[in-house]
Order: sequence, then structure tokens, then C-alpha cells
Amino acid sequence: MTIGVKEVKLERTAADQIFLPAILEGLVTTARHFFRNTFGKGQPGIDTIRYGEPDVRTEDYYPDRYRGVHRLMYREDGTVRCVACMCCSTVCPAKCIYIEAEDRHDDEEKAPRLFVIDELKCVVCGLCVEACPCDAIRMDTKTHMTAVETREEAVLSKIDLLKRGAPSVAVQGGLGPDYRKLQPDRDPRFPGA
Amino acid sequence: MSHHLRPTTAPRPDRTATLLAVLLSILAFVVGTPAHAADAPAHFEPKRLVFHPDTEQLEVEVVNDGPAPLRIDGFELTGPERHAFAVAEGGDATTVPPGGRHRIALRVERGAFEAIDEATGRRTGKFREGRARLRVKLREAAGAGSATDQAIGLPLRFEAPSWVSAYLVPAVVKVLVLVMLFVMPLASLLTWLERKQSAMMQDRVGPNMAGVTILGKRIRVWGLLHIAADGLKMLFKEDLVPARVHKALYNLAPFLAFVPALAVFAIVPFGDALCYGQLGEVLSQADVDQCAAGRGGTPLQVAQIDVGLLFYFAIASLASYGTTLAGWASYNKWAMLGGLRASAQMISYEVAIGLSIVGALLCYGTLEPHALVKAQSETYWGIVLQPLGFLLFFAAAMAETKRTPFDLPEGESEIVGYFLEYSGMRFGLFFLGEFVEIVFMSAMVATLFLGGWTLPLDMFGASGFTSPLWAQLFFAGAGALLVLVGVSALRASPHAEIVGIVLTLIGAIHLALSAWSIFTGWGTALPHGLVIVVGMVTWGVKVALLCWLQLLVRWTLPRFRYDQLMKLGWRGLLPLAIANVVLTAVAVYFLMPGKDFLP
Ligand code: SF4
Ligand code: SF4
Repeated sequence: MTIGVKEVKLERTAADQIFLPAILEGLVTTARHFFRNTFGKGQPGIDTIRYGEPDVRTEDYYPDRYRGVHRLMYREDGTVRCVACMCCSTVCPAKCIYIEAEDRHDDEEKAPRLFVIDELKCVVCGLCVEACPCDAIRMDTKTHMTAVETREEAVLSKIDLLKRGAPSVAVQGGLGPDYRKLQPDRDPRFPGA
Repeated sequence: MSHHLRPTTAPRPDRTATLLAVLLSILAFVVGTPAHAADAPAHFEPKRLVFHPDTEQLEVEVVNDGPAPLRIDGFELTGPERHAFAVAEGGDATTVPPGGRHRIALRVERGAFEAIDEATGRRTGKFREGRARLRVKLREAAGAGSATDQAIGLPLRFEAPSWVSAYLVPAVVKVLVLVMLFVMPLASLLTWLERKQSAMMQDRVGPNMAGVTILGKRIRVWGLLHIAADGLKMLFKEDLVPARVHKALYNLAPFLAFVPALAVFAIVPFGDALCYGQLGEVLSQADVDQCAAGRGGTPLQVAQIDVGLLFYFAIASLASYGTTLAGWASYNKWAMLGGLRASAQMISYEVAIGLSIVGALLCYGTLEPHALVKAQSETYWGIVLQPLGFLLFFAAAMAETKRTPFDLPEGESEIVGYFLEYSGMRFGLFFLGEFVEIVFMSAMVATLFLGGWTLPLDMFGASGFTSPLWAQLFFAGAGALLVLVGVSALRASPHAEIVGIVLTLIGAIHLALSAWSIFTGWGTALPHGLVIVVGMVTWGVKVALLCWLQLLVRWTLPRFRYDQLMKLGWRGLLPLAIANVVLTAVAVYFLMPGKDFLP
């Protein structure tokens, strides 16, 4: 293949040279938008969600899988679901989860003595949620991390995280690879699977 | 969907009723003002004569209002100071046809009022006031037998106002009215409008949060109170002065950018003239002209100087020192470069801006803005006679205000500008100065090319509309527009309830006035105060619309590259401006009525 020269001619008509027609055209376009938005019903197809308006709840607009502030879930007996397996803190790319384990005294599992997330370091990737085998950590609060005055306030403790929590009815530790067959009506997304 | 476009709830009736009552009472005042007292068969124009020590002879016209010819039998001067006045011309008995005018010239002997120094016997140059009255005896010359003698009187006044009462006090009042009630509010409004309008043009919402809570109700008129919030923020921000700046020049620069922008408003006429003590009367153009000359009134212009436009160029050029010095004194290479760009740009465009108005000066033959507006209303507006000059001036004016597409000095989107090192209210002065300049350029375009405070087609004069039809058309048009805007504002935004109601009501009153005029022919004899208000509102609306247009241009066009900017200035605007001057000069030479006096 030979390398050729392709000439591109810029067409400059007299109308382009004196700017004015093009300027007028632009002004008409922007003025049309201005009047439509100011005195009319607004541009069709553009519906602005007015975050921050007193009567607008952001929760109503976020998608279900929006990643908000973390929370820790309870078991049905009110204790924390987390078994301090360290999966989340291991997978966390920001290394912002700090866990210290303690004994649960039920001869089965551990529990976190300390569970701390530094929300300022968190990059909101959601990997912790994916990694958790117990449905213990979730980001489905649909709330932003609020502005804080000191850095310490953005470091959430286990108590802070549990405050947002709710009882989860998932089987602790999961049902194993056959979970769909074992509890068909647990997951509404796969009815009768 | 469209929860933000939800229609507002119906206005509460009590508030609406109060507003309606207030506006209706204003309407009653306007409509109920007594028109021309038409019992006398003739009247004087002007209605009173005011002499100053430097005006020895003044003219007055007797206008025959009646259906029959009038015979002027004689003149009689009455009053304590009648000996100081005399009829100089037009004193012979004569007959004035219906609708005709008879011109009389009156003289004053000013020596009669001058105080004489007791000790030396010399004239002191100090004058006292004096009053007299001219009576003109009239007789209806219709039927010889049924002739009735009548007389009309003209108050004469001699006064020698001091410099303070003639110039200083009116000027201070006018400065306060113009700057505090128009320029500064409009300029601060523009800081908000800039963001709001760009949002509206770009399908965004824009600033809408600031508001006040009154009696538990949150009032946020489209976020208008962002003006106040921004001002407070500017005032309370830390004012940081970098270590190695040139202290004196660094401090001076913001004022050099801001003060000239305000000072040039001195020459802008925002109305014709105000006659003291005659606000409720119907005046003629002769009355207003007398007041515009400073006798018995004052022109609505802070400083009426013959070289008005030269004054503007002289003062406005100072603003480029502000930008250049800000860049130079900041001890920052980016600010320095911004300042250099600013000085190059402003100097280039000042040449074009100066030449672009020469055409208008040739057409109207004056440098004084008040006279310029008068000349436009007597012939045609500048935009008709000088369309090219208008375009050039508008483009160069946008470059002078350093706004997109000419915003290289500041370059707010990416390059760094000359006020880089300024913070707090010092930056605020640059920022506000830019908006004051926008208002000024709009006022200048309105004065030079859009007939200032006058309405087009000679439809509005010193005594009101020139015919009832114009009044009906004007009020119907303005009313329909206001109602349209008000109703659509009400429907479009939940925050515009009050604005929408007020606009709709004012529009409805305009429509009512139009209907009133259709039935009564009202509108041709308006009180002087109302005429002034109409003129000032006309001027204000023109200026506001031009500001809006400048913002529209600013948010429509991308920025020029630096070489394009210079090319446009030196190779585009300047030759066109020169061509405009030459063509206008040739046209004026061949079309001027008195061209024969030229060799
Ligand atoms: S969202 Fe990502 S970054 Fe944040 S805590 Fe979870 S894993 Fe770490
Ligand atoms: S992955 Fe889940 S169970 Fe494991 S430590 Fe994290 S939150 Fe606890």
C-alpha cells in the first residue's frame, strides 16, 4: 500500500468570512433554549432531578444497586452477621477496612471485636460487598457519606455501621453451591429455580 | 415525571387582593389626573419663563386652542418686579388663526436684581430673585359684536441659583438615584443572571437555592438572593496579599478597574428633564427644554458636558490601567501575561470603538449624549442611520468588557487571568466592575443607537402619547407581553409565584389602560411625573435587554484565539470603521440640507 496525500479543502464562503450569519444562527439556537426553559415547559426529554430540594428524597431516584455508605447486617438474634473472615479487608483495594476478631463462644464462628471503615479512603468500589460470604456488609443505604468537619468523624466504627443495619434472613455462611435448589423462594430474582 | 415543573397552587386570595388594591389605587391616580385645563382659549408654551443672569432674552409662544381666530390686543406686565421685564419682540397687536402660534420674546434687565455694594457702589455679581407676570389680552375675532375680552397670564421668574443648588445637589441626587437604584442593582443582578441565564440556555437548573424564610415560608425567587449571598461571601473571605507584590499598585488596581466603570455613567442621560414643582402638570416640549437647560428644572443626566463622549473615552481608558497594573503588580508570571493580553486587547479595540461612533457623530452633529438622543428622536435612531456603526460598536464594546468571545485577559475556562492573585473583595471589585461595564456599554448602545429614553416613531412626546392610537397600541402590546411573561413564569416555576402574580397584574393594568384609552381617548395629556417615569422605564428596559443580549452572546460563542482576536480588531473592525466614517461623511455631505455653504 502506498502512502498517498489526501487533500481536505476547507470551504469558506463569504457568509462564513463575515461571521454574522453563523453568529445569528447560534444566537437563535441558544435563545430558543433560553425561552423554552425559562417560560415554557423545558427541553423535552431532559428531566432534572433536583437533589437537595427539601421535598426531593434522593433515595427515590438512586438505582437499587447504588453504592452508598456501608452498613453491617444483623442475624435474626440481633448479633452481628460478620464472622471476621477478613475477606472484605483483604479484597479492599483502598485497604480501608480494619478488623480485629474475637471469639463468639458458640464453638462455630468468630465475630469482629473491632470493625472500622475509613470512608475517606474508600473508593466506593463495592468489592467488599461482593467478597462477603455472609451478607454481613452492604452498601445499599442509598445515602452519601455526609460532609464531616474532622477526619475522625469519617472513620465509622462497628456501632456506626450496625446503626444503619437491618436483620438479614440469609442463611449464615450461605447454602453452598446448591442454594437455589435448597431454598427456591429465598431469592425473588430466580423464582422456582 | 416533571415534578419540578409542577404547576403552583393557586395564589392565596388575600395577598392577591391586597396587591390588586394597591395597583388599582395607582391606576386611579394615573387615570384620574386632571388633563389640560381647557377653559382658556389659548395657552403659553412654556407655561412659565425662568430667567437666569446669563439669559437676557427668552421666547414664549401663544398657542390658540380654540376653534376661532384670536386677536391679541395687548400686553401688560404685573407684579412687584414688572419694571425689570419687557416685551422685546412680537409685541404688536396681531391675529392668531386656530391652532396657530404667535412668538413673543421677553427681556429681563438683570441689573435690577443685582446687589450693589453699599461702601464702594460697585456691582457685586450677586443677584436676588424676582417675579412678575405677563398678561396677554385676547379677543375672539369671530363675530365683531359677540367679542369677549379674555386674558391669559404667564409667570415670569428671575433667579440666580448658586452653584450648589444648580449643579451640586441635583448631581448628587441623580448619582444616588442612578447608581444606587439602577446601575448597582442591575450589575449585581447580572452576576446572578449570568449563571441563571447560562443554565437556562444549557438546559440546566442553575442557582436556585438561596432564599429567605419569612413567617415559616421559604421564599426563593429563582434563587435571586444569591446576589446577597455572594456579596456577603466576598466580603468575609480572607483577603490574601501575596508576599512580593508591589503593595501600592496591587491595592490601586481594583479601584482603577472599578471606579472608571462607574464614573463614565455621569454622561449617560436616563431621561429628558425634570421640572421642579410641575410633576402633576401636563407640560409641553418647550417647558421640558427650558428645564433641560437648567432653568426651573434639571436634565436627567448627571453631567451635561459638551464633550461628553470624549469624556467617556478619556475615563474608560483608565480601566485598562486597572487590568494591566493588576497583572504587573501581582508578582506572578501568569497574571503578568494576562495583564499584557488585556492591555493589548483593550488598546486595539479602543481604536475601533472610537472610530465606530464617529459616523453617528457626523449624522447628529454633537458629542453631547443628551443632545444626541434628542437628535435621534427628531430624525431616525442611530441603528437605522448607522447599522454598520452599531454592529462595530457592539462588537468592540464586548471586547472592551473583556467577555467571551473576547475574554483572553481573564480566560476563566482554562488560561489564567490578570486578577489571579486577588482574593476577597478585591477580586469582587474586578468581578463587579466587569458587570458595571456591561451595564454601561448597554447604556451607551441605547444612547448612541437606540434613541435613549425615547420611544420610536415619534409616538411619545413631552406631554404624553402623540395620539390616542399610539397609547392604545403601546399599552395593549406591553400589557399582552407582561401578562404572557407573568403567566408563563407562574406555570414554569414553583418559585416564581410572587413575580408571576405581580407581572400579570401589571400587565392587566396595562390592558385596562389600553381599553380605557379606547373609550376616552386618554393618553395624550399625561402629567409630567408620569412622562418622566415612562421615559426612565423605557431607557431601563432597553439597557436591561441589551445586557441580556450581551450575556446571550457570551454563552453562545466560543473564544477567539489570540491571533484571531488581533486580526479581527486591526484587520476587521478598524478598516470597516474607517470605511463607515468615510461613507457617512460623503453621504452627510451630499444629503445635508445646508450643504451649499461648503466651497
Ligand atoms: S467499597 Fe471498595 S474501597 Fe470501599 S471499603 Fe469496600 S472494598 Fe474497600
Ligand atoms: S467479608 Fe463479611 S464476614 Fe468477612 S469480615 Fe468482611 S464483613 Fe465480615
